[in-house]
Amino acid sequence: MSAPTEVGPPPAPAPGKPRRPAVGVLRWTLARHLLLVVVGLVVMFIVTAALPEFRDFQVMEIGYFVCAVAGLTVLTGMNGQLSLGHGALMLIGAYVVALLQVHAPSTPMYVQLVAAVLVTAAFGAVLGAGAARLRGPYLAGATLALAVGLPSIPTHYVSSLGGETGLNTSSIVTVPGWLGASFTQDHYLAWIGSVAAIATLLMLGNLRRSGVGRHFRAIRDDEVAARLSGLNVARTQVLAFVVSAGCAGLAGGLTVLATNSASPGGFDLTLSVGLLTAVILGGLGSLAGAVVGSVAIVALPSLSETLVRLTSLSASRGASVELGIYGLVLIAVMLVAPGGLAGVVRRLRATVARP
Amino acid sequence: MLAVHELTTNYGAVCALDGVSIEVPVGQITAVLGANGAGKTSLLRTISGLVRARSGRVLLDGDDVTHVRPEDLARRGVAHVPEGRGVVAELTVEENLRLGGLFRKDRTDAARALREMYELFPPLAERRSRSAHTLSGGERQMLAIGRALVARPRVLLLDEPSLGLAPKITAQIMSLLRDLVAGQQLAVLLVEQNARSALSIADQGVVLGLGKVITTRAAADLASDVALRHAYLGF
Amino acid sequence: MSKFIDITLTGFSAGMVYSAVALALVLIWRATRVVNFAQGGMAMITTYIAVTVIDRGYGYWWAFAAALLSGLVLGAVLERVIVRRVESAPPLNAVVVTLGLLVLLTAVGGLIWGNSSRPSVPTPFSLAGYTFGKTTVGFGRFDTFLVLAVLAVMVLLVALFRFTGLGLAMRASAYSQEVARLVGVRVGRMLTLGWALAAIAGSLAGILVAPRVPLSPNFMDGPNIIGFTAAVVGSLDSPPGAVVGGVGIGLALSYVSGYLGADFALPATLGILIVVLMIRPEGLFSRAQARVV
Repeated sequence: MSAPTEVGPPPAPAPGKPRRPAVGVLRWTLARHLLLVVVGLVVMFIVTAALPEFRDFQVMEIGYFVCAVAGLTVLTGMNGQLSLGHGALMLIGAYVVALLQVHAPSTPMYVQLVAAVLVTAAFGAVLGAGAARLRGPYLAGATLALAVGLPSIPTHYVSSLGGETGLNTSSIVTVPGWLGASFTQDHYLAWIGSVAAIATLLMLGNLRRSGVGRHFRAIRDDEVAARLSGLNVARTQVLAFVVSAGCAGLAGGLTVLATNSASPGGFDLTLSVGLLTAVILGGLGSLAGAVVGSVAIVALPSLSETLVRLTSLSASRGASVELGIYGLVLIAVMLVAPGGLAGVVRRLRATVARP
Repeated sequence: MLAVHELTTNYGAVCALDGVSIEVPVGQITAVLGANGAGKTSLLRTISGLVRARSGRVLLDGDDVTHVRPEDLARRGVAHVPEGRGVVAELTVEENLRLGGLFRKDRTDAARALREMYELFPPLAERRSRSAHTLSGGERQMLAIGRALVARPRVLLLDEPSLGLAPKITAQIMSLLRDLVAGQQLAVLLVEQNARSALSIADQGVVLGLGKVITTRAAADLASDVALRHAYLGF
Repeated sequence: MSKFIDITLTGFSAGMVYSAVALALVLIWRATRVVNFAQGGMAMITTYIAVTVIDRGYGYWWAFAAALLSGLVLGAVLERVIVRRVESAPPLNAVVVTLGLLVLLTAVGGLIWGNSSRPSVPTPFSLAGYTFGKTTVGFGRFDTFLVLAVLAVMVLLVALFRFTGLGLAMRASAYSQEVARLVGVRVGRMLTLGWALAAIAGSLAGILVAPRVPLSPNFMDGPNIIGFTAAVVGSLDSPPGAVVGGVGIGLALSYVSGYLGADFALPATLGILIVVLMIRPEGLFSRAQARVV
């Protein structure tokens, strides 16, 4: 009889390792994370300089996907709550930025993004409060309903929210002068996306190592035990939703910067499915996995385009190819390697460690 | 007859059974005794196939059935009444009994066996359409044994039938078992924590300790060996 | 007043379809403790198969049989090949796998039959309402067929589960796999059979919805969500609850559509789902206390 396949982030360090004093841990973790940030920025410089210009948009895409996927993987992987509605949360962030641009165009970009984060996080608090009692399939079903239902709301408000065609905005992103005259806007957007991603990863990484992160894991592993040890389970779960919703809101806001529009069609169920696929592929709870998964999701349309060309399918069927790949990835990963790529890496490391 | 040779089972790194060998003759009750964790339940679960044996053999009338799946072994005449009764609480008494005879090809005999169980266990007859979770502990034990017997098994594996039962009920169940074996071609392997009542009806006793067989002797011998009783059997 | 009767009858008819979807979900839940998010996708595929049968020139009844039969096969195959592997895993794995199946089936439908919507399935029963003198009600011959078909399937399923040995074996497998195995039940086969039977109910829903809507790979998404809501409202453990939940929601949505406007139907469904999940997540018909799923 085989044991159930466990899904989750890396186990705690082996017992017997000497415990560092709390402050020491913090300093060490922060230092390590800041180092990663510097590395990330360097990578950003190099990659955006090396890649041809038409890739700038994709780098931006990867950037905002990382924000959303990382937030979702923390919620699902660390806290054990599966949400299928994060596409809808991105929609909220997007509409906040779009509305600000339409009605208050002089607001600086950063303020608009912060607003998107806050509004979506507030919505996440409501969602989390409601979802606190739900488990497993029930939570999945409720968030699935959200993913399907929320995008339909703007379609009823044509004058204020732009109806089905959505809102169009004029670009508010101006490249700062000190970057030089030849620095294109697309390039700048790629940087913005990357910086946002790095900042999000830094925040989530610190969160994970902190006491709050331990609370998340405790609840995921054994809710009853966590409750008995005094953890306020409901509050922690709401917090998890708030954090991940904020990340999704940021991602949604960034999409408006990239595309100058916000419409229901851009945040449909396929998006939520795509986010989930990225999380599963990368590995639940793994931030590195979130990055890998995001790259995969952004690369997917080109992959499916190639497939469509190779098999000479019509354009409408091409959309099905993309969807089909999502489905196959979800099923295959769950059956073969439920821990995603992060899980595979973990297992490889363990086999190498044991001679 | 049921025979077990050098049976070894592990749960991960823990060795539950270590080279256990037992013979369970027809028409006799063989009691398996020992402290908690000695491996008694693991023995039954390995025999019936719920747990996979690491090594060793289980032989049913000479046929090697070591790795036969539980459902197939049940169809070959081995009935296992697991720890905690194994009664399906959501089904009625009648449905639980019918379960025992579901796979039997001889439907007439299956129906006859069902009627016999009602004669054997009058309380079950009174509650035949009641849901099983409304039964008392003793009645559930009767139901579990009844379900096992409806299949007209060759071998009966019983795991701690006296668990949670009052002494009077335990005595009833035990004497019932004694009568059953006397009347049918049945081999009974009885795992019991309550060694005293088990030995009162058993023909032979096997004492397990930490997964190994400590000793195998006639029940009367075991009952009179005071030192052994104190060391392993708790009385 | 006649509008009320109209709306009630229409709601009842729609409700029966939702009951079929809900019943499929409940049966699979009880048998394998999995919520089959792929249900809508399965029904879509079997309905498209039925449409293909009609396109090839065969009559409606052949197509009807094809839908149910392919449902049976599809349910059995999916359980045996894919879902079996996550039945004993943490619930999250099963949720992701059935979602993946939903997405995959939708994609396959689009690949084989195209993503553009095509006209509905023709049926031998008139979709027009019955006329009594000068008034026409919103309930016609097709609706009668629909109600009778769903009732027939339900009655057959109930009879199977309650009165046959096979049904007893299936119920035992659902309640206690270990005990079932110990009495000789081949539990794996029972699980597969459970999925197969549930898929029949789901396919029935698909072919009954089809005549009234344009077909596309997503045409069962709405009924799927409504059916899921009905199953949750009634309680995932209770087949009668599924039926009551389905009819109840069908009526509720009909009233909302009729008196407030069709646009409000989907939000109303979501509202009901959310309210029920907040107040009584285990469903109205649940006998046990709220399970931690």
